[in-house]
Amino acid sequence: MLEKPNKLRISLICGIAIGAVSAIPGISLINCCCCAGVWMGGVLAMYLYRQQFTEGMPPLESSDALMLGLMSGVIGAFTATVLNVLILTVIGPVEQELVKSIVGRLLDRLVEQGGLQSDMADTMKEQFEQSIRDAGKLSNIFWSLFMALILYPIFSILGALLGFAIFRPKNPPPTTMVQ
Amino acid sequence: MEHNKRVYSVLVFLTALWCFGILLAPALHASHPAAASIVYSAYSPVCHQVDGRCFHLFEAKWGVCIRCSAIYFSFFLSLLSYPMFHRLSSPSWPGRWWIALAMAPMTIDVLLNLAGIHHSSALTRMITGVLFGSVLPLYIVPPLLEGVTQLRSQFLARGGLFYARKAQ
Repeated sequence: MLEKPNKLRISLICGIAIGAVSAIPGISLINCCCCAGVWMGGVLAMYLYRQQFTEGMPPLESSDALMLGLMSGVIGAFTATVLNVLILTVIGPVEQELVKSIVGRLLDRLVEQGGLQSDMADTMKEQFEQSIRDAGKLSNIFWSLFMALILYPIFSILGALLGFAIFRPKNPPPTTMVQ
Repeated sequence: MEHNKRVYSVLVFLTALWCFGILLAPALHASHPAAASIVYSAYSPVCHQVDGRCFHLFEAKWGVCIRCSAIYFSFFLSLLSYPMFHRLSSPSWPGRWWIALAMAPMTIDVLLNLAGIHHSSALTRMITGVLFGSVLPLYIVPPLLEGVTQLRSQFLARGGLFYARKAQ
């Protein structure tokens, strides 16, 4: 019987995709919706892995989804951190500026509509200014890596499990149960 | 199955912890602002946390926005009620298209809001988030239970082989 396809190659592709989506200014805003970019990376990993299967190979299993999600998430966390540092070094805190301008407009609109007090809006704008000033600090970079190493594998595993539930084989083999 | 129950309990515990953290941030805001800011920053990679789009507790925003809160809390409640409607020993797999149907209202709400055609309100964000979050456990729990069981079997088999070789 043939062996299952290599997970590392797919994990690398999807991990880099997760990292790129999470680091590129503008596109990274997709993660503001419950880490949707990382979820999608997990789903994509499952889809691509399923495409690698040929006749004679053992069937696709849920454990493959768990491992793929975990590997993609960890690779994605490191890739995102490296890309973030590169972007910060080369072009500065573009993402924070972008978020600041979007949130600034949103806050102004809320103040105009009476949904937010102007002093609160000013405090929030000041917090964004502070985050821009802190963006390049080493402690911030390590904190981001630490959080990414926790969050990305979790959301990537969830995405891969969701992907498995969607792309699973129509007649799955019976599960081996362990007492 | 005892093993599936344990995996399910761990998932419930982790989800409860995640939801607790969302409420912990505003609860700490007044008394321990430094601790609150750490909790807020832990949730910042997964949510925009814009004040006007968040629920408030003790006059401070929750750790995530209304839509995300609706997703996470409905996920938690749906997860809690999962064993009432499904057997953990042999969880049933849902149809492939229900997830798309559950996701559609939220996607439409976001896209129409971005296009400026419709202004999404707190109510639409909450309803569409709840719809998506409550369907999600049906797709997450079966492969998770099955996957952990398979991984456990594989590790046990490898461990058995290791000890068999060592005994030889």
